[in-house]
Amino acid sequence: MVVLLSSLPATQSLTLCHRVVDGLCGQEPPRLEDYSTTWSLKEWQELLHSLTAFFRLAAGNNSSDEEVLAGLSDVSSSHAETVLTVLKGRREEIRSALLDRTNSISSATLQDFDWQLKLALSSDKISSLHTPLLSLSLDVRENGALRPITMEMNREELNTLISSLEAANKVVLQLK
Amino acid sequence: MEEVDKILIHTLKQVGTEVSEEVNSVKQFTSELIVEAVVRCIRVIDPGLGSALPTSLPPGMSARFRVGMSLAQACQDIGYKGEIGYQTFLYSNEPEIRSLLMFLVERLPRESAETSDQPTGKSVVLQRAIAAAIKAQLAVPWLPPNCRLPLHGETQSPGGLHSFHVQPLSLPHCTKGPTKKELIDYQRDILPPVTAQPSSHASVVASILEQHTAELSAAQEWDSEWNSQGLVSRLTPQEYRSRKLTRLRKRAEEQLRSAALPSAESAFGGPRSTSDLSELLQAFRGSAPADQVLTKGSHFTHTQKFTFTQEAAAVTSPIPTGRQSEGDVQLRQEEELASLQQQFQQLCTDVDQLTADMKHMGVTNTQVLDELKQRELGNTEEEERMQVKKKTIDLLPDADNNLVKFQAQVEASAKRVLHLASQWEKHRAPLIEEHRTLKEICSNQDLESSRKLSEIKTLHDKIRVSTEEAKKKEEIYKQLVTELENLPQDASRSAYTQRILEIVSNIKKQKEEITKILSDTKELQKEINNLTGKLDRTFAVTDELVFKDAKKDESVRKSYKYLAALHENCNHLIQTIEDTGTILREIRDLEEQIETEHGNKTVANLERILDDYKAIRQENSALAAKVREG
Repeated sequence: MVVLLSSLPATQSLTLCHRVVDGLCGQEPPRLEDYSTTWSLKEWQELLHSLTAFFRLAAGNNSSDEEVLAGLSDVSSSHAETVLTVLKGRREEIRSALLDRTNSISSATLQDFDWQLKLALSSDKISSLHTPLLSLSLDVRENGALRPITMEMNREELNTLISSLEAANKVVLQLK
Repeated sequence: MEEVDKILIHTLKQVGTEVSEEVNSVKQFTSELIVEAVVRCIRVIDPGLGSALPTSLPPGMSARFRVGMSLAQACQDIGYKGEIGYQTFLYSNEPEIRSLLMFLVERLPRESAETSDQPTGKSVVLQRAIAAAIKAQLAVPWLPPNCRLPLHGETQSPGGLHSFHVQPLSLPHCTKGPTKKELIDYQRDILPPVTAQPSSHASVVASILEQHTAELSAAQEWDSEWNSQGLVSRLTPQEYRSRKLTRLRKRAEEQLRSAALPSAESAFGGPRSTSDLSELLQAFRGSAPADQVLTKGSHFTHTQKFTFTQEAAAVTSPIPTGRQSEGDVQLRQEEELASLQQQFQQLCTDVDQLTADMKHMGVTNTQVLDELKQRELGNTEEEERMQVKKKTIDLLPDADNNLVKFQAQVEASAKRVLHLASQWEKHRAPLIEEHRTLKEICSNQDLESSRKLSEIKTLHDKIRVSTEEAKKKEEIYKQLVTELENLPQDASRSAYTQRILEIVSNIKKQKEEITKILSDTKELQKEINNLTGKLDRTFAVTDELVFKDAKKDESVRKSYKYLAALHENCNHLIQTIEDTGTILREIRDLEEQIETEHGNKTVANLERILDDYKAIRQENSALAAKVREG
């Protein structure tokens, strides 16, 4: 329902479209609070969905300007023009975001990771331990839900992990 | 004394006393400095005792006096045997202060010496530093956020607890290729600054770091790949990239095809063939599911959704026609559902059958087409053969003539062939020559380029090796610098030991000299004794001889008298010389004493004492006046 965009003046709709593309590329999407006077929640969601889908489709199919304008035939020409400029300007970004999405096509993907190196100086039994410990936290996206995984490893365990990851990397390199 | 003072000042500085640079001997110590130094030493030696003492002198005279008394008491408690009192601190004299400070410095715990004896590796130093820092942090009590001072911020604020969350950033320089006007407009007018892009402020740094690391690693990977494979392939970077892209595409397609074949058949029961790969990809690309990550079964869910909605549409249409009871409606719905399902199943089976038929038909069709082609080939062959035979039959009637003609023709054609061959040879020779030269040039160029390639490779290797070496050397340099920073203590220590050894050798020399002088004196003593003995004996003999003659002769008696007088006078003389010696020694002693007394700054100290006395009296009178007023 891109038609809903018509209730916003063209200049504001430009920023909105850019924010929608931001959301598409993994940044913060626009919030309803900023536009609550213009649309209801349902309308907002519809608009957001349709805009996102439109951008995605247009960038993914690499459609020409005429095709895009044809897809926006139900919106006023100035708004359609706005959407087109946004699309033109950020086609590459949307494309890379889509490529990223395609890249992570599997049941679980690594979204983000963080590590901390800790040095255990002593324990309750041993006064001087000096054992390095690595606590690794992985943000894994599994079926759309973010699942944090945290583990702590000593040197041997870390070596095992690294060697297995290297073996996996080798398999990936063979695919190239 | 200078060495001792240096050591003392160095140690006092280590204890924490602020000794200014100009002060380089105990002589220059002021009362304040002495008090501070002594208090700091006592605090290190015995924290319980030292904590009660102030490090600076109070302004009031009586209070100063009291501080001096308590300090003296503390020193005696620690075990100082020498003479000590408030005057030691307030009206200092050099030797006393020196001996007191030496005593205190000797009593200082030997921690620093022990630690410097331990091996000072880089890791040991680091671990010790970490342990010390953690100990210090554990000693700091936890405070609620409102009471925190800046010094707690480092360890207790939640700032360190932010986990490393990355969000994608949009940076102008990342977009490659020809920049469009719309893009520039966007970057100029709408794109927020990078610090405003992430949703939470904490992830700004993480995001930027991540972005840069990603770019850097990509560049490095490309660099290494280009150096290892790209250069050898002798293509421009763009060509290499496009070639790799097509190769990867092909590979991915193959992989997908092989992976999609069994899974598709198992998931959809066989009706789907591999031909719909593009359709599958289309589904991946076109579908816009709400969740962010595409799941594997998306196509399946997609089709399911599609059929389901159709059904629903079909079901909902007849409902509003009549207003039956709910049961009826349900019944009807179920019936309909059952029938529809049946239909659906039937359709499915039909489709299956049809596809199987189609496959069969396709196979037979290709077979028939093959057969057709073969037949056509056979036909053309037969036709050719037939034409040849036809011609021979045409030529048969006038056989001889035709034979001659044929022979002539054959000869002519043979000649022509020979001519052509010679011509060909003529053409061929220069062409072959050219080909050879070109080949040679080519191989030369190949050689050259491969040589250059190998040169480039070696250069790259060299660059890498030298950068690594530079890094290593830099690290070593850093390590050495840290070691150097830790060194001065040890250096002074070795200097001190050297100094001590020198002093010891000096002392040995002096001892030798002393023993020499002692033996000299002994010899002298011996000689003196000898001489006195000789003298005594000679005197006794002379005395006797002269005494004997004296009874007879008057002049001899006179000479005897003279002899006695001479002897006595000589004795007196010796006595006087000895007395002068002792007096000289006494004088020297006294001079030394005067010197030491001068060193004690007695006059100045007396003046100060008088001043202080006046000050105390003033204070006392002021206090008395206050009391009277009160």
